[in-house]
Amino acid sequence: MINLAEPLKIAYSSIISNRLRSLLTTMGVIIGVAAVITLVSMGEGAKSYIMDQVGSWGVGSNSITIQPGEENSHTIEMNMTYADAQALRSKVNNLQYLMTEFVGRGRVNYGKKEYKPGYTLGVSADYPFAYKQGAAEGRFFSHAEDAGRKRVAIIGKTVARNLFGEFSPLGENVKINGVGFKVIGVLEEKGTMLTYDMDDMVLIPSTLSPLVLGTNKIWEMFMTVNSEDQVPQAVQEIKKILIARHKKEDFHIHTQQGLIDIINNILNAMTGIVSAIAAISLLVGGIGIMNIMLVAVTERTREIGIRKAIGAKQRDIFFQFVFESVLITMSGAVIGITVGTLAAWGIMDWLKMSAVIAWGAVYMACLVAFLVGTFFGVYPAMRASKLDPVEALRFEA
Amino acid sequence: MKDNIVVRITDIKRTYYMGKVEVNALRGITLHIARGEFVSIMGPSGCGKSTLMHILGCLDRPTSGDVKLDEVDVDELDDNDLAEIRNKKVGFVFQTFNLLPKLNAIENVELPLIYAGVGFEERRRKAAALLETVGLKERMYHKPSELSGGQSQRVAIARSLANDPSIILADEPTGNLDSKSGEEIIRLFKELNHKGITLIIVTHDQEIADHSKRIVRLKDGLVVSDESVK
Repeated sequence: MINLAEPLKIAYSSIISNRLRSLLTTMGVIIGVAAVITLVSMGEGAKSYIMDQVGSWGVGSNSITIQPGEENSHTIEMNMTYADAQALRSKVNNLQYLMTEFVGRGRVNYGKKEYKPGYTLGVSADYPFAYKQGAAEGRFFSHAEDAGRKRVAIIGKTVARNLFGEFSPLGENVKINGVGFKVIGVLEEKGTMLTYDMDDMVLIPSTLSPLVLGTNKIWEMFMTVNSEDQVPQAVQEIKKILIARHKKEDFHIHTQQGLIDIINNILNAMTGIVSAIAAISLLVGGIGIMNIMLVAVTERTREIGIRKAIGAKQRDIFFQFVFESVLITMSGAVIGITVGTLAAWGIMDWLKMSAVIAWGAVYMACLVAFLVGTFFGVYPAMRASKLDPVEALRFEA
Repeated sequence: MKDNIVVRITDIKRTYYMGKVEVNALRGITLHIARGEFVSIMGPSGCGKSTLMHILGCLDRPTSGDVKLDEVDVDELDDNDLAEIRNKKVGFVFQTFNLLPKLNAIENVELPLIYAGVGFEERRRKAAALLETVGLKERMYHKPSELSGGQSQRVAIARSLANDPSIILADEPTGNLDSKSGEEIIRLFKELNHKGITLIIVTHDQEIADHSKRIVRLKDGLVVSDESVK
C-alpha cells in the first residue's frame, strides 16, 4: 500500500513556499508551451478564417473547378472553349450548375468618366447560383440573354461607386472596351477576400467575350453537382469527356477537397516546425528543472535526513521529489496554455480574425509536460531517496 | 511471555574508512536495556557514543555483531524495513531539535504518523493530545521560528512519541538549551519514564546523567563502566 496523496501534498506545499523559484524553474516550459499554443491557435483560427472566406465565396464542397493547362505546368495553354462547356453540360450526370468564365481587362466609360475594374468577366447565367452572389439591385441576365448575346452588364459595388457615386446605375448606358452595354444590376457586396476586392468587377454574358474581351478561350469552368459524394464520379466523367474531345489531358481539375488538403498541408507543416521548436524548448526547460531539483535535493539534505530518521522510506522521499518536479512542470504547462491562448486571442483580434482553442495542442502540452517532469525528476529523486540518513542528518546547509 | 529486554546488542563493532584511514568507532560493545529503563550513555567526544546511538536507532548498521530491538533481529532487515522500525519502534530527540521549519508544531508532530499511514483526523487528534502532554497546547499552530528552544525541544519530544515507540533516543537533548529550559526538558523526560517509557540519553553532562537510573560510560569504542545511579 503506497499512499501517494501524502507525498503529493508535501510536494505541493514545498512549491507553494518557494513560489518565485518554482516559477523561474518552469519558465522554459511556460515559454515553450505558450509558443506552441499561440501558434497552433492562430493556425487553427487562420484555417477557419480561410474556410469561411472560401465558403462565403460560394465555393461549397460539392463544387468542381476545371482550368486549362496541365497540372503543374508553367505555360498555360488556353484551349477550353464554349463547345467543351456545352458538351459537359449535356453529358455529366447530377450536374447542378456549370458556369464558364472568360477573363479580360476592361475599360468602362460612362459619359466622360472612365474606370478600369479589377476584373471584367464573361460569365453564364448560372453565376448567381454557382457563386451564391445575386444582384443587390436590379437583376441578373438570363440564359436566353446570354445565348442571345444581349449587351447587358452587372457591376460590382466598387465599380458603381466610382462611376455613378450615389446615383443608381440601373438602366444607364456604358461602354465596355468601346462596346455599348446597359447596366441591369449591381452585385451583392462581398468585401475583400485574401486582399482582393471582390466588388471591383464587371460581369457580361459569356457569349460576348470574343467581342469585348477578345478571347474565346475559357479561363475557368466552375460547376456544382447535387451532393458532395457525387464529386469523384463527376470528376471521372469530366476527364473522360474532355480527353475524348482534346485527345490529351491538357486541363486540370480542382475540387474543394483538394483545396482543403492544400491548406491542411501548409498548416501541418507549420505545426511541425513549431512542434520541433517546442520540443527543443521543453528539453532545455526539462534540463533546467533537473538542475534546480538537484540543487533542491542538496539544499534539503537535512530535511531528507529528518524525514528518514522518523520513518520515511526510500519510496516516500522518491515520490515527494518526483511529484514536485511533475507539479512544477505541469503548472508551467497550465500557465503556458493560458498565456498562449490569451496571446493568440489578442493577436488574432488585432488581425480581425478569431483564434480557435487548439484542444489537441492543449492535451499534448499537458502530456508532454507530465513526461518531461517525470523524466527529469526521476534522477534527482533517486539521489534524494538513496541518501544515507546519518550523513544527511549531519549535513549543514 | 514477552522478553523484558527491549535492546539487546551483542559484541558490535563499527569500522569507518575516512579515505584510506581505518577508524574503529566501536570495538565490541554488548549492552542490554530493559523495558522502562532510563539510561545515560556518557563519554568524551570521539568515544563512539554517536555511532552507538545511530546503531541503536537503526539509522546505521554495525560492521559485525547482533542488534535486537524489541525482539526484532535488525541485521536481517533491508533499508525499507529499517525505516519502518525507526518509524514504529524508535523516537529520536536531537540536540538541534531537527524540526522542519516550514511546518508548524502540530504538523511536525504528525510527520511520523503520516509515514505510518495514519489518516488525517486520527493523526491530528493524536498530535494535539501529545502536544498537550508536553505542555504546548497553546502553541500548536506556531512555526519552529516562533518557538523558544525549550518549546522546540518539547515539540520534538512530542514527535518522538507519536507512534508509541519502544525506545526514545535523545542525543544531547539539552545541549542547545539554557539551564532553565534544560531542567524542564529533564523533568519532562522523568515524567515520561515514570509512565513506563524506555529512555536512552547520550550526554557528556554529569548533572543530566545523574537524573537517570543507569549510566553507561564509553571510551575508545568500548564500555568502561556500567552502573546504577543511587
